[in-house]
Amino acid sequence: MAASNKGSSGKGDKTTRNLVVGMILLVVVAGAGAALASNHAVKSASKPSAVEASDGDGIGFNPNAPVKVDFYEDFQCPHCRDFEAVNNGYITKVITDGKIHAVFHPMSFIGNESVVMAAASACASDQGKFLQMRAALFANQAANENSGIWSNAKLIVLGHSLGIASTKYDECINNGQYLNWTKNVEDYAGKANINSTPTVLINGKPIAQNTYLNATAFQAAFAAAGVK
Amino acid sequence: MKKFFNPTTQLWLTLLARLILGGVLLAAGWIKAMKPSEAAASVRVYEVLPVNIANTFGYILPWVEIGIALLLIVGIWSRWTSVAAGTLMFLFVIAIAQAWARKLPINCGCFGNGGITADGKVHPWTYATEIIRDIGLILLSIFITYFPGGKFALDTGSENHENGGGR
Repeated sequence: MAASNKGSSGKGDKTTRNLVVGMILLVVVAGAGAALASNHAVKSASKPSAVEASDGDGIGFNPNAPVKVDFYEDFQCPHCRDFEAVNNGYITKVITDGKIHAVFHPMSFIGNESVVMAAASACASDQGKFLQMRAALFANQAANENSGIWSNAKLIVLGHSLGIASTKYDECINNGQYLNWTKNVEDYAGKANINSTPTVLINGKPIAQNTYLNATAFQAAFAAAGVK
Repeated sequence: MKKFFNPTTQLWLTLLARLILGGVLLAAGWIKAMKPSEAAASVRVYEVLPVNIANTFGYILPWVEIGIALLLIVGIWSRWTSVAAGTLMFLFVIAIAQAWARKLPINCGCFGNGGITADGKVHPWTYATEIIRDIGLILLSIFITYFPGGKFALDTGSENHENGGGR
């Protein structure tokens, strides 16, 4: 009688309830545990040769140039694609002219597809084609996140279209050689408090938000730091 | 308290409240759990916790939300899980309010997609609607706390429930 208005709430079947509690607890603990365990740098990760260990395993160019520029980007991020479309010509030029010490941090917070794209850019880096691969990955960005279009075969075809001929590149992609390295980059970006992409730091300082899609303002920021 | 509703109405209302609150939490948790490093960034941009603690919190929070949501939906310990959900929402309201007060140009990140706003600007109306939404969810959690259990619940909602003692 006391429980008359609880008639539908089970007949005190504690076993069922405890079983459900156990399953939910398992999901939570396993999920949280996996999230904690998988989002750390992997010390044993194999790294591309251009990596700068002192700078979060980013891919570096011209380490002796006076002005240091860090690029934090995710190959799936639409704003990064737009940023790239506006500024890539200039960025490529100041790097090939040796005017800036560039460090690229290909992030992967958007998901698995970002991971394979970042790893492929590292494979291309070993073949001296990082800048070309970076441009090509942005130019061919899919309309939807994590659509799964970047199979190993496609990444290999893309690399070959950029003039990569070495079978080492194919093996690097097929073996997932740099998948773990992407965790190091992501871990470092997290600790460096990078909260949006693209983020460009000139000598450690972020450039103003409204310069990213404005080529004139972007180049002025470089000029202000002494890049001529 | 029980006089406001007839018992059957209250059972169904509690079920409805459990499904809405649990459903929102489940969606929010699941979306974020799929993108852990984005979830971590979402927490960092509120600039409340130190970076390393914010990261850990960002990885764990989605799973805590999922756990509370599932318990609410199936109706286990709903008096206490609704208190937990309401407390969580209260903390979110404080976090959003302080971000708004400090004019931090950030997205809520409640359902993923956290971080700095795309245009780098503060959007007061967005902050306001998020706070109103969370307050609505707090009201639901208070309702469940007063009327735990409900239709199709796996238990009465509270081991020491005034009506549940005899079971």
